[in-house]
Amino acid sequence: METQVQTGLEVLVSTSWVEEHLKDPKVRVVEVDVDTKAYAEGHIPGAVGWDWNLQLCDTLRRDIIPQAKFEQLMSDSGISPETTVVLYGDNNNWFAAWAFWQLKIYGHRDVRLMDGGRKKWLAESRELTQDSPKQQAKASYKANQPDYSIRAFLPEVQEASSRETSHLVDVRSPQEFTGEILAPPGLPETCQRGGHVPGAKSIPWGKACREDGTFKSVDELKTLYGGAGVTGEKPVIAYCRIGERSSHTWFVLKYLLGYKTVKNYDGSWTEWGNLVAAPVEKP
Amino acid sequence: MKAEEYKEQKEQLAGWPVKIISYRIGTVYHVSIHNEEPGAWIVKSEGPNLADVALKARKEAADSLSKIKRNSSPAGCTSVPGF
Repeated sequence: METQVQTGLEVLVSTSWVEEHLKDPKVRVVEVDVDTKAYAEGHIPGAVGWDWNLQLCDTLRRDIIPQAKFEQLMSDSGISPETTVVLYGDNNNWFAAWAFWQLKIYGHRDVRLMDGGRKKWLAESRELTQDSPKQQAKASYKANQPDYSIRAFLPEVQEASSRETSHLVDVRSPQEFTGEILAPPGLPETCQRGGHVPGAKSIPWGKACREDGTFKSVDELKTLYGGAGVTGEKPVIAYCRIGERSSHTWFVLKYLLGYKTVKNYDGSWTEWGNLVAAPVEKP
Repeated sequence: MKAEEYKEQKEQLAGWPVKIISYRIGTVYHVSIHNEEPGAWIVKSEGPNLADVALKARKEAADSLSKIKRNSSPAGCTSVPGF
């Protein structure tokens, strides 16, 4: 099943657009942060907070959120299949993009990111609250069967590496790409070996953003990825360490540049870099 | 309530480039320190006095960053038949 693609820039909304729609019953704003305590500090009035570590993954095995749990989360958040879901978060929307990707896996039609994320909202001194949103009427959400056309698993990445069937885009920092460090400073998930998947190109996720956290223009993004040979004519698989930064790049390639076949490899380096006998390239 | 006195500045801590973000919500100052690459936060601190909060955050971040092990293993590419 092919993901239903929202086209153009309708997937991206500004902070002012969000402010204008705070009381729009068709819109649900959701904050998803790396720092799971940030929401409690102060959040957009009416926004629901999702904890990526508990609510957006399978807490038993390593996997995305199971379908039944996803349906429960959406229902509890007052989201129906017709709701416009606007996601935002810290670190320029890392885990907001992770949530976006999962909402698309389960077929939610209208999902958007708030350009610039939490940082921009704070920097613009827009209204915050520490109050929990008013209890929403629970919806009865029924998800589609998961669409794995936007998710890459290990065998496909192995094939992409050995047979060059897809572009592999490593979106981690240059020091992680070269193997100088195993994980970004302060982040816990690590691996046994440093380096990158053979054949991968290094295009750090942050190059897609401006200093204020918003995405660069489509022309700038085309130059960035096209300059590295990633033009969209060939399928693309993005990866990072656990799949959140690569969700961000996946969003850029799929929705802002409109590349047809883009997948997020959420196993990422914490899978590949821990595999016995996996080939590793350095630098 | 709003975030006020929002400020970002770049510095080096323990040899790593970082970005320090500070702001006030109500009477509480929040300071977070982020690595420049990839932009993830390393430590956060909060309290009523900006100078104290920033000092605490800088110290904790420097401690954390100074423990990062840099690898310098040989370059190259392994190739495993059948993988």
